[in-house]
Amino acid sequence: MRLQNMFKKTKYISLTESAETNGRKVFTAEDPKPEVPQGLLRKCNHCKAAIIAEDVKTAHYTCPKCQGYFRMHAKRRIEMITDENSFEEWDQDIETANPLGYSGYPEKLDQLREKTGMEEAIVTGKASINGNEIVLGVCDVRFMMASMGQVVGEKITRAVERATEGKLPVVIFVCSGGARMQEGIVSLMQMAKTSAALKRHSDAGQLYISVLTDPTTGGVTASFAMLGDIILAEPGALIGFAGPRVIEQTIGQKLPKGFQRSEFLLEHGFIDRIVKREDMRNELAQILKLHRSEESSQETASEIMAFNNTQGNNKIASAWDRVQISRMKDRPVGSDYMEQLFSDFIEFHGDRYYKDDAAIIGGIATFHEQPVSVIVQAKGHDTKENIVRNFGMPSPDGYRKALRLMKQAEKFGRPVICLVDTPGAFCGLEAEERGQGEAIARNLFEMSGLKVPVLSIVIGEGGSGGALAMAVADEVWMLENSIYSILSPEGFASILWKDSKRAKEAAGVMKLTATDLYEMGIVEKVFAEPAHYTLENLEAVSNQLELRIQEFIDKYQNMTAEELAERRYQRFRAM
Amino acid sequence: MINKVLVANRGEIAVRIIRACREMGIETVAVYSQADKEALHTQLADEAVCIGPAPSTESYLNMEAIISATVISGADAIHPGFGFLSENSKFVELCETCNITFIGPSADVIRKMGHKSQARNTMTAAGVPVIPGSKEAVADVETGKQIAAEVGYPVIIKAALGGGGKGMRVAAAPEDFEGSFQTAKKEAGMAFGDETMYIEHFVEHPRHVEFQILADNYGNIIHLGERDCSVQRNHQKMIEESPCAALSEELRSKMGDAAVQAAKAAGYTNAGTIEFLLEKNGNFYFMEMNTRIQVEHPVTEWVTGIDLIKEQILIASGEKLSYRQEDIVLTGHAIECRINAENPAKGFRPSPGTITDMYLPGGKGVRIDSAIYSGYTIPPYYDSMIAKLIVYAKNREEAIRKMRCALGEIIIEGIDTNVDYQYEILRHPDYCAGDIDVEFIEKMSAE
Repeated sequence: MRLQNMFKKTKYISLTESAETNGRKVFTAEDPKPEVPQGLLRKCNHCKAAIIAEDVKTAHYTCPKCQGYFRMHAKRRIEMITDENSFEEWDQDIETANPLGYSGYPEKLDQLREKTGMEEAIVTGKASINGNEIVLGVCDVRFMMASMGQVVGEKITRAVERATEGKLPVVIFVCSGGARMQEGIVSLMQMAKTSAALKRHSDAGQLYISVLTDPTTGGVTASFAMLGDIILAEPGALIGFAGPRVIEQTIGQKLPKGFQRSEFLLEHGFIDRIVKREDMRNELAQILKLHRSEESSQETASEIMAFNNTQGNNKIASAWDRVQISRMKDRPVGSDYMEQLFSDFIEFHGDRYYKDDAAIIGGIATFHEQPVSVIVQAKGHDTKENIVRNFGMPSPDGYRKALRLMKQAEKFGRPVICLVDTPGAFCGLEAEERGQGEAIARNLFEMSGLKVPVLSIVIGEGGSGGALAMAVADEVWMLENSIYSILSPEGFASILWKDSKRAKEAAGVMKLTATDLYEMGIVEKVFAEPAHYTLENLEAVSNQLELRIQEFIDKYQNMTAEELAERRYQRFRAM
Repeated sequence: MINKVLVANRGEIAVRIIRACREMGIETVAVYSQADKEALHTQLADEAVCIGPAPSTESYLNMEAIISATVISGADAIHPGFGFLSENSKFVELCETCNITFIGPSADVIRKMGHKSQARNTMTAAGVPVIPGSKEAVADVETGKQIAAEVGYPVIIKAALGGGGKGMRVAAAPEDFEGSFQTAKKEAGMAFGDETMYIEHFVEHPRHVEFQILADNYGNIIHLGERDCSVQRNHQKMIEESPCAALSEELRSKMGDAAVQAAKAAGYTNAGTIEFLLEKNGNFYFMEMNTRIQVEHPVTEWVTGIDLIKEQILIASGEKLSYRQEDIVLTGHAIECRINAENPAKGFRPSPGTITDMYLPGGKGVRIDSAIYSGYTIPPYYDSMIAKLIVYAKNREEAIRKMRCALGEIIIEGIDTNVDYQYEILRHPDYCAGDIDVEFIEKMSAE
């Protein structure tokens, strides 16, 4: 039985009548009518739902229903990000000229000044974030879409120059429609001017973090926005050079959903991280802390227990056994060591060219309180994760990301620690199209001259060029049952004997075990493993690694850049 | 003055409120989710407004939509029922801002009584007995252990924002303390996003006895006697009755006075409930105040003859209480069984679905508050309570017999219900003897 319309919607008995019979007061004029006061509710631009305006504020200017981001006033942003009362504004009154004599422009500016209470589209100055001093720039989209005219360019340039001089990091919260059309070619020149200032800042070894917010487009994207040592973005922000409408009109096609959004850029390798608004302050503080130039205190490694190999692992396993052990499903993978050996890890994504390759995880972390760059070839724990990580087989984008992070480490003087575990570089159509060979070659080329200590540890499979591209190091270490070879035994058998089934035999002749390689002088150290090596007994190995990594850093970090490069050169020169 | 009420709830309580309004000549507006288009409350009200998709976070908890529906439909008051937004102080504040009469207490009182430690402090100050326990939040195991020793084992560890048994653990002895504390804390963090924990002396084998309060806007407060809600499973009540078999007239008046005192201290208005734990020796302790109408309000209605929903509306309209304490006399005995769409044999798993056929009992002293009908499909999104069966007779023994008869007559086809399980309780010798406490169900299940 359906009830639909079985009960008539009755327009009720006259109210006054019933009220009177009850002897109660009838509606009078003083009773205020129910209504929603102005400003109590607002509409979310994203989900279109009505939301309580107050909730938007407490939710860091995001929609409490769909979590969509609202654009923020510069002033609010500064309040949200910096320590209370730490902000000191600079260059407030640079006058905006009208270089083209564009009609109506000065009037428009006046109107905006009145409406927004701002002089121009960016606020710059000095501030601190959780005690870390920075030079800060924050764009405000209410002022001519935060387009970059001469004043915006000048304010950024001055701020960067002062930061370079004062050896302070620069953080810019970017949003912009692009260059300011009303100022014509003068506006275009601001792209070059700001980029040049940032180049000097970078050459002076100083940090620049750009935070891309909705929307970041046009000439701003093509200049200071994309030049951060570290580029962060808010979720869902539109980021691109040409605006989506322009592209659609030009190519006559509808653009896919999510095109030019932060997540799209992360996938395509152009930004390091997407950071939620509520986490922004702490993440920035953490990154800044890891880039502080003062000497960090060196902790002694005394509390680390030396690994005692009592597992009776002495009976020598065959080379083939070791190949199989190195590929065991429950063997610890790169991310496990990372967790065990390092703290405060912050992952940075992308090669800044094409893609973020999940087969390589990289970023900065601390090792015994000291900042280091960590780059790991990442196998997964299960098939699902392995599919995401492409079974630890990096693409050219992965190697380019690794190199980018090594160069970043070089700039900020951090040791580089690579964990190698790959069946080999990814073999596929796209990999060739994007230059797998070139990417590996470039890493060998650049790594040989890196001016900071580089340590590579083979923790599982060291498959050929794919492994070497992260192992042109000052020292290369291996775990007892890891392997390192020109090719997989299957491939070796197939090439030389035209029969991949003879892999077991191939393993025997290839000299791919850690002991073989140690004897041949290819690697410097070999670490014993427990009999059945899994996450459960990871500490047995990682404790030992921790101890030796500290020794490595102590030994190499005081060498000059030339000394390091020369030693590395000779290391491979001798092979 | 209230001319039109928006009922911000669903199920039997929404129907109950619509009926009361209709009797009073007040127009009603139902709100419903997309899953409740066919629900009885949607059909029965004078007007109905769809406020969002099935999940209650997007519909019955969607404050903005409910406020908008109220303003658009021209209702001047909201009755929140129980659950959903009924004890949400922010929602009440919104109503106040929008000149909408909220049928219930003020935002301030709800906030104060909703925070357990604040409620407790208010009660201590008013001289209402509370269970000995930590005065401040307990951050770590060591401090906790110390306090536990002071208040005396067994102790119960509770989340400040807890409810429904979540974030709650008992430690019988010092060696259990650490484990219980950590589990409760973790649970609280997950369920409420707040790990503020409190420790109390654990009252052994207590009865759950609560007092119904009515308070008008002019400082007149009375109590309508008690309800014994000791029959609970996982802190969820199953059977409630009034009066409580363990209360002498003297103890009733003592507890009733304490309840009125508690409501006064809270600055309470409208209908509310003070929950006590009653020990065998007659000691009782304030547990919490529920700042809303309760599921089990019909048993009080029957033994006092007062329509609580109507009283709520009258109080919210600014009327003075028309009863004094001496007018309240409990007559006879009422019992309520909650009928849930669930399967007791499968761990009380909810059993939504279509009711293919049904027959509900009637007769003298039998009342059914429900929102189901033949052909109705119970949606899976909400509480599994589908009906309340309430019986009334001159004494407890007769009421139990009447309840057994009524339960025996119920036919609900197409879904599983707990009717047979309720019948088992009604036949249990301890229940029949009135020998119950909050562990009754646990003991019965173990038999």
